[in-house]
Amino acid sequence: MTVMESDREPGMKFYVGVWIGLLIIAGVEVLLTYQGFSTGTLLAVLLILAVCEAGIALMYFMHLKYERSTLFWSLIPVTIFVLLLMDHFWADALRLTRFRVWPF
Amino acid sequence: MSESEVALGGAGHAAVMEEPAYAVPPKKLTIWLFIISDAVSFGTVLFAYGYLRVGSTNWGTPFKFSSILNGMIMTFVLLTSSLTMLGAVLAAKAGRKSSSVKWMGLTALLGVIFAALHLREWSHMIAEGWRLFQNPTGGSVEFGAAFFSITGLHLLHVTCGVIAIIVVATGFNRGRLTEGHVETTGLYWHFVDLVWMFVFPLMYLMNAAR
Repeated sequence: MTVMESDREPGMKFYVGVWIGLLIIAGVEVLLTYQGFSTGTLLAVLLILAVCEAGIALMYFMHLKYERSTLFWSLIPVTIFVLLLMDHFWADALRLTRFRVWPF
Repeated sequence: MSESEVALGGAGHAAVMEEPAYAVPPKKLTIWLFIISDAVSFGTVLFAYGYLRVGSTNWGTPFKFSSILNGMIMTFVLLTSSLTMLGAVLAAKAGRKSSSVKWMGLTALLGVIFAALHLREWSHMIAEGWRLFQNPTGGSVEFGAAFFSITGLHLLHVTCGVIAIIVVATGFNRGRLTEGHVETTGLYWHFVDLVWMFVFPLMYLMNAAR
């Protein structure tokens, strides 16, 4: 182990619990797919669950929770900001949404 | 000698050189920066797909439950491979080299199974007439372009990951590579898993025949 790493890192038993949790979320996604939601609602629900899954994987599987917090604050908020900007100011993509009558 | 000391050129120099940024070894910071840039690349194609999906009036939902079941098995295999990669990292850090190599071998095998399931899905679709710019159901032709591009990009990452794991496992077993290499390879593999957490619901579940 490196001298800079945290000693708080959990063992394999904990990671098995995280793995089971991720499998359950994936199963819930499949169940919700067949509940008859509209396209927009289903997209929103699936995205929320996917973000939860990704957050858990990032913090535990990728050990970001056990690194110095400056690493998290330097990498993640900026990435989310860039992705939101991409979504919000993508003029051509916004034009595409107007091809269709809202709400879809 | 610790990972950080190696990065600084030896224990004797550690006292006169500043600590690496964010208190992580340089190779770990480098893989994090690569992951962030790759996340933005995947974000770009997934946003493009999202707008095409909701902007199209004739998108269609071609995936029968057999395809969704295949996707569920692929999800299970990839999530399990992340767990086995964690086993490899923990074993490497604990100095259990042979155990770490075995975990990495299992991870690579699961990666190959994932790729095989992916290619099976592709071959079924191609047999049905799906192409990059061809939709056999008569709906939007962008579906094939989006599906093959996004899943193909992910499959490319899986393939590179499997090769990287095999190379690192071999090097680690022979003593040429350290536990730091196992950890950085693990970070990349978990990222590939993380991307699938978006690809599966967006590409498969959103296009399931309901």
